[in-house]
Amino acid sequence: MTSLSKKKLNKAGVFIGFTLPAFLAILLSVELPFLMSILYSFTKWNGLDKVPVFIGFANYIEALTDDPAMLKALWFTITLTFFTVIITNVLALLLAVILDSDIAGKNFLRAAFYVPNIISLIIIGYIWRFIYGNAFDSFFAATGLPVFMLSWLGDTHLVLFSVVIVSVWHSLGFYLVVYIAGLQTVPKDLIEASMIDGANPFARFFKITLPIIMPSVTVAVFHSLSNGLKAFDVIFSLTSGGPGSATTTIALDIYRTAFVINRFGYGTAKSVILFLLILVLTFFQVRMFKQMEVEV
Amino acid sequence: MKKALLVLSVMLLLVPPLFSNGAKETSTTKPVTLDVMFYSPELSEQYDDMVSAYFKETGVKLEITVLQTDYRSVLTSRINTGDVPDVFMSSAYADNSTYKDYVYDLTNESFISQIEPSALQGVTVNGRVLGYPFLVQSHSFIYNKKVFKDAGITVLPKTLKEFEDVAKKLQAKGIQPFATGFKEFWVLPQTAWQALAPSIGNYGGYEKFVASLNDGSLKFKDIKEMSQVFDLLDLIKAYGGPKPNESDFNDQTSSLATGKVGIIHQGNWAEDTIRKTNPEVEIGFLVGPAGQNAAAAGIMFDSNQTIRIAKDGKNLSAALDWLKWLTTSEYGKNWIPTKIKQMSPIKGAGAPDSQIAVETVGQLGAGVPGYPWFYQMWPTGTEQQLGSILQGYCAGQTNRAQTLDALDAAYSKIAKALQ
Repeated sequence: MTSLSKKKLNKAGVFIGFTLPAFLAILLSVELPFLMSILYSFTKWNGLDKVPVFIGFANYIEALTDDPAMLKALWFTITLTFFTVIITNVLALLLAVILDSDIAGKNFLRAAFYVPNIISLIIIGYIWRFIYGNAFDSFFAATGLPVFMLSWLGDTHLVLFSVVIVSVWHSLGFYLVVYIAGLQTVPKDLIEASMIDGANPFARFFKITLPIIMPSVTVAVFHSLSNGLKAFDVIFSLTSGGPGSATTTIALDIYRTAFVINRFGYGTAKSVILFLLILVLTFFQVRMFKQMEVEV
Repeated sequence: MKKALLVLSVMLLLVPPLFSNGAKETSTTKPVTLDVMFYSPELSEQYDDMVSAYFKETGVKLEITVLQTDYRSVLTSRINTGDVPDVFMSSAYADNSTYKDYVYDLTNESFISQIEPSALQGVTVNGRVLGYPFLVQSHSFIYNKKVFKDAGITVLPKTLKEFEDVAKKLQAKGIQPFATGFKEFWVLPQTAWQALAPSIGNYGGYEKFVASLNDGSLKFKDIKEMSQVFDLLDLIKAYGGPKPNESDFNDQTSSLATGKVGIIHQGNWAEDTIRKTNPEVEIGFLVGPAGQNAAAAGIMFDSNQTIRIAKDGKNLSAALDWLKWLTTSEYGKNWIPTKIKQMSPIKGAGAPDSQIAVETVGQLGAGVPGYPWFYQMWPTGTEQQLGSILQGYCAGQTNRAQTLDALDAAYSKIAKALQ
């Protein structure tokens, strides 16, 4: 054997040696359950009976043609995602630009914005339940401002915004970091050149900075889009999907179908539909945003 | 689903590590440890007290995992993975069929004859006793006696009209009449279905009523007494403070205890929590109004919390011994009335020292109707789903006609899936 092919073989061995454990772990804990859930989605199973009954596409047909509650949950999920994606990304980009400049205390502010992100969403839901409830009552007693007497979690129209506020507050820090990292890749000479050419700050941002940090935008929007469509924990702890079905997301609907009504087969069928939906939406989003990226 | 699985797996981590098989084997030399899953964490202290008493008497240990909100999901996944607890809890009625493949038939156990026959109703299927009734509980309206006295209310309300008059009097005194509890998915249905309970007789009794709903021959929109339900919910909402849809169990119990509100809809299990906020509070039980018929107004009284024994468990005989001890021993008989301070289903057990329990027994003795928790006979999952629809009604999401349609749609969907 020549030394070259030996080297190649060695390299392959190292590669396999390092990736195999992770590959096996992912296969066992992610891919296998995923494939099994696809299998279960073709069955009628209450999660307890020892033998699931194979029923073909009946679950899928029921979900798409005879489940107004799921369609309603789907519509709410899309509305919620629409608002959170736009607000989170615009706000995060704006803050990133501010915090990337030389303002005083920017390190403290960066940390402050990031802190909510490291707390579990379940806990955040309970914290905000308290804020919207008892804390707002006390604010009202102290200030008399009517905004604190609104039923933030009990009004079916207002509750959408209560959820959006909490979601944005929680995830802002993460996207802030992504955008700050992006902003630091913008070459200083381009900015200087544009300043000499007399470009105003707005033109500088939209013509130079934004196109260059487009890869960050792609990543951030992709992330917020798929997280928005999967929204579960914050709803679970903040509103339990209520009042009524006003804030029931599709993930919560799936959870209830499987664990409350004990229809595991039907629940997994819905989750496969959700998976396909996320796949298609993010695919088009990434493709669209990739086309807007530029080479420097 | 992915998220749900994630939450589930996190919850599974909270369950103590699975016991090694060796510890489970029943041999004469090794001490037996029973693997138990219970809910009602508010009773944790009492569970522990019972465990140490049983250990002292017999040397058998009980390892109890106590959960609440996600109890059902964790139990389901443990059963799925073959790690069935020796002893677990569930509801009565519909859950008899949910766990049918896993529970031991207690019919021929000697201690079953020591249980009040009325408490066995909910766990009996075709003459077979599939569970052990744990507590007898009641729910209806609880009122703060001092608040009522201060407002000059001497005659307790029985009809919807009388409830409204009382609410007006309380409001005139600057007291919020009701804390709704509408945010809890279980409080709202308990409140609502109580208003329907006296009318079930018009539909051929409980079993016929549930069977007709299940096969679709009866629809909620055909039940004219549903208007009693809506009228009651409207009344509670109208007099339920500025944020009626945000009131939860804690809000209900604390505001009743402090006298901020006069009336809440809750069960006797709430007394302990109420008393923790204000140990001096004097509370009583009101009947639930069913329209304007005072004679039909009653309280909901049933044994719903059920202990189940796994039939394939390695410790089956030890588990049965424990149940027998719970029914016949001196400690066991007194555990529920004196430690848990609720009503026991065991024949000849003492009365608990609790105001609501005493009032329940007193009222039933005086001829007030006690209705079973018939909504527990509906298929698993209906409680939460219908509760959420009623919550939508209270939040103004749907009107009465739309609510009835939604109830019918949700119910028939669940019932159909069971066939």
